[in-house]
Amino acid sequence: MNKHTKLALMVAPVLAIGGYIASDFWVEEQANATRIFQMTPENSCDVLTGNCVLLAEDFKLNIFDDNGKTTINSTFPLDTATLFLVDKNDQATSYQLQMSDSPYYWYRQTPLRATISQVGDTHKMRIIATIKGGQYISEFYTQTGSKG
Amino acid sequence: MESNQSYWQENLRLILICLVIWFVVSFGFGLLLVEPLNEIRIGGYKLGFWFAQQGSIYTFVGLVFWYSSKMNKLDKKHDVEEG
Repeated sequence: MNKHTKLALMVAPVLAIGGYIASDFWVEEQANATRIFQMTPENSCDVLTGNCVLLAEDFKLNIFDDNGKTTINSTFPLDTATLFLVDKNDQATSYQLQMSDSPYYWYRQTPLRATISQVGDTHKMRIIATIKGGQYISEFYTQTGSKG
Repeated sequence: MESNQSYWQENLRLILICLVIWFVVSFGFGLLLVEPLNEIRIGGYKLGFWFAQQGSIYTFVGLVFWYSSKMNKLDKKHDVEEG
């Protein structure tokens, strides 16, 4: 092994690590850039029975209600989550959700169950979930099914 | 003296080529162009992802031996090779 091979072998890892660090900065900056993603319901949504999944590419959000505790469960860890219950006059009441044991689960006591306790009841809802600069938003209806 | 300068200029040119290739495969293919390259699949892998994970490393190793080989030829050309 001559001097040029030795020199190249010494320099290559430095450049590789330099590239890794530069890439990390770039990706971090990209992640913090503000972007909005529209989520759509995977199928008909019934929050009371836990059959409510919102989708935006790889990101999934499941919304369910357990005795008045409305909870969301996401495939990626969230920074914040806000739920809006929209009444018949299109007035929205916001509920800032609080993190459960992990950033994958967020919850808050809401009057949703009491509002749509009867089979066939519907309610308009909105949600904003943030991950760094990404905002995942959705407006959807939950309809109480026969198992609610 | 002129030969030394020529040797050094040629060396710098090789280093510059290596750095450009290093930048293109790691930052260019692995990040800047990752989305269009991911449209291409080789052996089931998205090409942009492959460059970010493995391809750039293979290229770095290739560059080591390419640079070494070119420098050895340059040494011979300028009659300064080892041993």
